[in-house]
Amino acid sequence: MALLRRILIRFGNLFRKDRAEAELAREVEAHLVLIADDFERRGMSPEEARVAAKRAYGGVEQAKQAHRDERSLLWMEHSLQDLRHAGRALAHSPGFTLVAIATIALGVGVNTTLFTAYNAVALKPLPIADADKVVRLRRTLTSGFIGENQYAFSYPEYANLRDQQHAFQSVVAASWPVKVLVAAPGESSSNQLIPAQAQLVSGNYFGALGINASLGRVFGSDEDRVGNPVVVLSYAYWQRQFRGDPQVLGSIVRIRNTSFTIIGVTPQEFTGTSLNPQVPDLWAPVSMQGQLVPGQDWLHKPTDFELQILAHLDPGIGLKQAQAQTDSLVRQFTTTYVTKDRTLAVALERTAFFGNTNDPRFRAGVGAVMVIFILVLLVACANVTNMLVARGAARQKEISVRLALGASRARVIRHLLTESMLLALAGGVAGLALAAAAGKLLWIALDQILVRQLGSDFVLSLNLNPDTRVLTYALGLSVATGLIFGLSPALQFTKPDLNTSLKDESTSFGRGMDRSRLRGLLICGQVAVSMLLLSSAGLLIRGLARSQAADPGFDTQGIYLLRANFGDEPVRAAAEFHRLTDWLKTAPEVANVSYGTAPMMGTWTPPIFVKRPGAVEGSIEGRTLAGYASDNFLNTMGITLLRGRNFTAHETSTGAHVAVVCASTARLYWPNEDPLGKHFQLDLHFDGKRTDFEIIGIVKDVRFANLTRVDPARVYLAADPTQLYPVFFNLRGDQQTSIAGLWTRLRGFNNDIAASVSMWNVETMLLAPQRTLARALAMLAAILALLALSLAGIGIYGVMAYVVSQRTREIGVRIALGATAGRVLQRIAMEGLRPVLIGLIIGLAGGAGLSLLLHRTLAFPGSIDFLYGVSFYDPLTFLGITVFLTVVSLMASLGPALKAIRVNPVIALRYE
Amino acid sequence: MPAQILQGTLDLMILRTLSTMGPQHAYGIANRLQQISDDSLNLNQGTIYPALIRLEQYGWTRGAWSRTENNREAKYYTITKAGLKALEEETARWRQMSAVVEKLLTEEK
Repeated sequence: MALLRRILIRFGNLFRKDRAEAELAREVEAHLVLIADDFERRGMSPEEARVAAKRAYGGVEQAKQAHRDERSLLWMEHSLQDLRHAGRALAHSPGFTLVAIATIALGVGVNTTLFTAYNAVALKPLPIADADKVVRLRRTLTSGFIGENQYAFSYPEYANLRDQQHAFQSVVAASWPVKVLVAAPGESSSNQLIPAQAQLVSGNYFGALGINASLGRVFGSDEDRVGNPVVVLSYAYWQRQFRGDPQVLGSIVRIRNTSFTIIGVTPQEFTGTSLNPQVPDLWAPVSMQGQLVPGQDWLHKPTDFELQILAHLDPGIGLKQAQAQTDSLVRQFTTTYVTKDRTLAVALERTAFFGNTNDPRFRAGVGAVMVIFILVLLVACANVTNMLVARGAARQKEISVRLALGASRARVIRHLLTESMLLALAGGVAGLALAAAAGKLLWIALDQILVRQLGSDFVLSLNLNPDTRVLTYALGLSVATGLIFGLSPALQFTKPDLNTSLKDESTSFGRGMDRSRLRGLLICGQVAVSMLLLSSAGLLIRGLARSQAADPGFDTQGIYLLRANFGDEPVRAAAEFHRLTDWLKTAPEVANVSYGTAPMMGTWTPPIFVKRPGAVEGSIEGRTLAGYASDNFLNTMGITLLRGRNFTAHETSTGAHVAVVCASTARLYWPNEDPLGKHFQLDLHFDGKRTDFEIIGIVKDVRFANLTRVDPARVYLAADPTQLYPVFFNLRGDQQTSIAGLWTRLRGFNNDIAASVSMWNVETMLLAPQRTLARALAMLAAILALLALSLAGIGIYGVMAYVVSQRTREIGVRIALGATAGRVLQRIAMEGLRPVLIGLIIGLAGGAGLSLLLHRTLAFPGSIDFLYGVSFYDPLTFLGITVFLTVVSLMASLGPALKAIRVNPVIALRYE
Repeated sequence: MPAQILQGTLDLMILRTLSTMGPQHAYGIANRLQQISDDSLNLNQGTIYPALIRLEQYGWTRGAWSRTENNREAKYYTITKAGLKALEEETARWRQMSAVVEKLLTEEK
């Protein structure tokens, strides 16, 4: 109690300093008078008495200082002093302050923007009550597959876990979004069908996650027992489709052939719990699966993995215990009911906006990007350090005087650091504002890209507003920045060296070797980082230019991809599939119809074995991209046949073991012979069993795996008649009217199938996103590189200007002694450029290393080449960037150097 | 050679002085300490100021301006209720401590 009271008073005294001082002076004065009175009484003269009193009292100033130390929080008082002083000092040189703050703001700003995005996707909790208590189930599969499949569970698995567990308050299940066509209420014509995303959820879904309806009600926990055609709308969908009309409760919407009653609307904040950041439009009880996704039986098939499972932890049970229980329950169940791709383990995962953010590859990617962004911040830091060094040199005398007068080194360092911190924090605040603005822009850009790619019914649920985590990050970053750029100048300038700096000789010949070395190092680092960023950006931009013009090698503009749901039963589904493709051929809007493996949607790279000519046993082994094709596939896609022949209808309807290979495959495996009629084997299912194929044709090369490069090897196999494939077709006449006509005709053909059909244009759906990605990457790299470059340019200029100003006298002496202007210029420029050149070399080596690393990832035939085939030691890029940077450095150092040779030797010498 | 004041004992001595002698100014307190110690304490009078402010901030004493008999102004310190309680505790602790030290020193011989 007493202690707390004292601390509060001491804190209060910080702000009552003047009153306390006056009171103290009065008390000491009174004290001295009392002593003097006593001495006078003993017979001293008043004069003598006063002197004696002072002697008896001891040091008055020491006593006062001891009193002050006790009275107030000294360190805080000093900090306040420092703060005021720093504020004044910075306000005194507004130019320096503004440039420093802007520099830091840029560095902190780009980093905070990145963190904001990362925060939104990976760190922010789901928009539910008790988000930290809710976990998501993820399993490890024997196949080692990483991705969304890990989060998929079947309904029987879910029911088993729900009923057997004792570790959770509740366990809920929710499907991936299911595409449905909704007939809005009141509109009787079934033509007015609007696509929507529905999510099937267990009855306890909303209750267990603590979501109450903003209008009406949500599902009761047993509303998923049987049937029950009710739906809950998302807030966004309600606003969009029903204009926020509260009368919508109780009305009927028709989905397929079932009438659903709208019973509620979720709150605006609830944006779903899906792995992907997409808000479902409406929710239905999982018991309505038969009506929403006909032909399948999720509720009873233990191998139909359609649901994501979330669980709300029981307060009394630890995560480890809950995980052990879940793991054993799920594995027990799967060993009994699941034969393919068994479950190795089940883990409980923190829920975040994106489900896959725990994926190590995602983390590695984010880490790499963060390193690059931090590099930019470091360049900014180096600049401010350099500015501080220059500024500190001018203040060297002030600092020396303070040290000489008895200020402790720690105190002076603290004083200098306060100034850096003030700068850093101001820069941090500005950076945060910058990041907020950039976040908004990012959101708009993302939204536009996604809406353009995925249609206007896609609602992005990403929240990029800064929260406490972002604020903390920005603050931490600023403080770290302040320390980084402030500490080394502060340490240097307080180095005890009173003798030289007190005299007016602080800038003489050869002084401050370590200081100029520090500056050289900083410049060197800045140039190296800029070089690295610039060369990466250069390569990416060259890649970008190629990506926009990249020819996939097949027709994309006029090709449409059609996919539909034909139900669960394989034989019936295959029959339905062929009925649809046959019907499509008769549609007057359609020119060509084919089916086969889709381009740009994942790769399949089975091992390939080719017998060497002459060798009995030996064979060339490798991996090749592979895909299936119907007889008309190559024709429809516009992949030209170079030699041999195409598949026949007979071959694709019997699944004959014949293949068409592309030219690159032919060159790779049969370099000097005719591949036609040759055989190769594929391990189709990765199980060691080889299937033999005969080559019947050779086609031209394509970019089929992704747009970034020509497939290094690809084989087309005759389609298997028992399997289903995406359908590809092109249209006659005007595409817009033809596709609209086709939609109408399709509903007349089979309304059930039509409801599940999606038709995409191959160019806009599959290629445009890749081009957009390339553009975004190149732009990002260019912005960062330009930022780093301008920072480095400013840095070089600043340092050169400083060096020249410090060496004015030396230059004067040289000129007086007969050095020519040219020689002086050369000398100054050479000295300024040395660290630049070293930095260039380091950066170049770094860039080459990065290229090499990227190159390594291309060994696999399906991998993506971000540079679109720009060679990795692209001489044009590297040479261009080197010249560019050298010119920038020269320009930056030329101004100060020119100023140096105009030095008047007489004036310069007067100082010496 | 005059003794230095043992760290932490000054507070106790001031509290004790105030409790036996009633309200006192800094000079009075310093005089009293010097007198009690038969001038064997090396006490600059200014030394007691930090202790005085500390005790006041703890709430154990209260200071108020007043006049001496000779009509000089002086700040008089009074011990508070909390101060009396603290004095009691500090005294007990001091006794305990000094007994321990004494015992130890006797045994050492």
